[in-house]
Amino acid sequence: MSAAAQALRGAVIAYQWTLRPFIGAHCRFHPSCSHYALEVLETHGALRGTWLAGRRILRCNPWHPGGVDPVPAREAGQFQPVPKG
Amino acid sequence: MDQKRLLAAIAISIGILLTFDLLNRPAREAQRAELAAQQQAAQVQQAAPKPGPNPGPVGPLGAPTDAAPAAGAPRAPGARLPIDGPRVHGSLSLRGARLDDVVLKDYHETVDRTSPLVRVLAPREGAAPYYGQWGWTAADGRTPVPGNDTDWTADGAELAPGKPVTLRWDNGQGQVFEIGLALDENYMVTAEQRVKNTGPDPVQLLPWARIRREHTPPTQGFYILHEGFVGVLDGRLREETYSNAKTEGAKRAGVAFEQEAAGGWAGFTDKYWLATLSPVDQAARFRATYRAIPEGGQDRWQVDFAQPQPATVAPNTTGAGQALRLFAGAKEVRLLDSYRDRLGIPDFDKAIDFGWFYFLTKPFFYAIDWIFTIVGNFGVAILIFTLLLKAAFFPLASKAYKSMGKMKVLGPKMSEIKERYKDDPAKAQAEMMALYRTEKINPASGCLPILIQIPVFFALYKVLFVTIEMRHAPFFGWIRDLSAPDPTNLFNLFGLLPFDPTQLSHYLHMPVWALIMGVTMFLQQKLNPAPPDPIQAKLFQYMPIIFTFMLASFPAGLVIYWSWNNLLSIAQQWYIQRNAKVGKPAAAPVATALPKKG
Repeated sequence: MSAAAQALRGAVIAYQWTLRPFIGAHCRFHPSCSHYALEVLETHGALRGTWLAGRRILRCNPWHPGGVDPVPAREAGQFQPVPKG
Repeated sequence: MDQKRLLAAIAISIGILLTFDLLNRPAREAQRAELAAQQQAAQVQQAAPKPGPNPGPVGPLGAPTDAAPAAGAPRAPGARLPIDGPRVHGSLSLRGARLDDVVLKDYHETVDRTSPLVRVLAPREGAAPYYGQWGWTAADGRTPVPGNDTDWTADGAELAPGKPVTLRWDNGQGQVFEIGLALDENYMVTAEQRVKNTGPDPVQLLPWARIRREHTPPTQGFYILHEGFVGVLDGRLREETYSNAKTEGAKRAGVAFEQEAAGGWAGFTDKYWLATLSPVDQAARFRATYRAIPEGGQDRWQVDFAQPQPATVAPNTTGAGQALRLFAGAKEVRLLDSYRDRLGIPDFDKAIDFGWFYFLTKPFFYAIDWIFTIVGNFGVAILIFTLLLKAAFFPLASKAYKSMGKMKVLGPKMSEIKERYKDDPAKAQAEMMALYRTEKINPASGCLPILIQIPVFFALYKVLFVTIEMRHAPFFGWIRDLSAPDPTNLFNLFGLLPFDPTQLSHYLHMPVWALIMGVTMFLQQKLNPAPPDPIQAKLFQYMPIIFTFMLASFPAGLVIYWSWNNLLSIAQQWYIQRNAKVGKPAAAPVATALPKKG
């Protein structure tokens, strides 16, 4: 995982531990937006991960039915984040 | 097990905080005593005679700094020019041409109307020197220029609106230095500097003006409130805290920040008070500099405006001039707005720390202030505005709960899923979500509406934090100042026991409004689904307690706002759920089926 993706994941985890207990959990999806963000940042990297997580949050509104919405698999030929090690 | 560990962690944390607080107390008390002494000394109007430095070049080119006062024969105190405007009074030291005594007629130091008036600028001889000054640097290295010890003559007895005064000093070698001063109806002094050369040779001079603060003021230390250097230069807001300026200044011979810009403004901001310089001609180019100069074991701070290049004044001409405005007063939003619009001082209202959410905070301020003019109490205005804001977001919240009626129909299917995946909550939740999708219902409002509300309510919070309008504004009962912490304290039974627990520790302060906030927060949380993670859920439970302690020392206006916001949230949820004809989520048959992650 890139440093940027790590930092973004850190921010999401910080949100889960500070802001979320305070404002309450209201997600219409499974996995929740923050868990989705953590996963998508890990699998798709910082740039595409942020894009996908942002779109997920925009979907998470009362006019969308919500439901199960897993992280999409990486497509072939797509930018691959630098592998670990 | 988890709970025990968490409790232990909290207990240990509080223990560490209290111990730290106790250990630090003597140091802090000494600091406070020193501060009180300083403030008292600053109140002392009369300037004690003190040896001053010799007049002469004030530092290198464009760097008006002071040499340490040289020892010399004590002199009689310099003459003073009284200043009297509708909103300020004070005086100007004719020795050194320093505007160093400005008191605001409309603001008292405490809620008590008999307390001293707020002082913005203070003399050099006091303990908290803070002043504006005009001068020149001799670029040719030989022309005698006025210095800190120069006695100027004034052609008037008093500086007042409509009664401008010109200060003059003849250096005895053919150059006459002049500073034309004018005061407006509020907090602005305009100064026009010029030099008449009657000598036989041309002289090279660099005019400058500065605001100098020879002590570090006590700051609030909240990261959402900027205090320190502030300015707008070439359209960019330039802020620098005192500690940052010190670090930066140490790298570059005292220069923390420097920019040549067309017009703009710069100076020092406190939470409520401001002193700045800004060129009268906003198209003219100046070099603006923020400086941090440790001199004689004392941090000194300075903002100066100087010409980018020295000017040559030919014989029998007038030159080496510049015109700058000096603002020294209260950060009233509308006043700064009007200076911005009338005098063309760009973004002058940004001296008030409206922050990143300027586009929200500024209109919020106008709205609250407008309500205030109608109802006459700033606290009530806050309550009404919060209510309106909640009402605006009501459709978002209610849309989600509309579907709750249908939830009852799903009850049996829900319990079936719950039964089937008893040992796998994650799987159960996924099934539940799939069911919501096929049935096109979902009881949660979604992350987007919540995320949109965060900046909005943060903006409101910020407005309440920064605006001077909340200062000394009363509310009902014992709240006489919305900008100060609620004075009541649970630990002496609200005054029944004759001692002050905050003497022992700052944490022993638990006012009534903080308790109200804690209770309303607890109730509101009861209506929200808990986070799925058991440790997070525990943290969630302790939030009201943590926040009660955290907000205990906050301005009462903010705590009242929090409490009211919580109450409105509770009322909103209750109303929506009653209309949806279902119980609160915790009591509904689908309770455990609610999406719990956010």
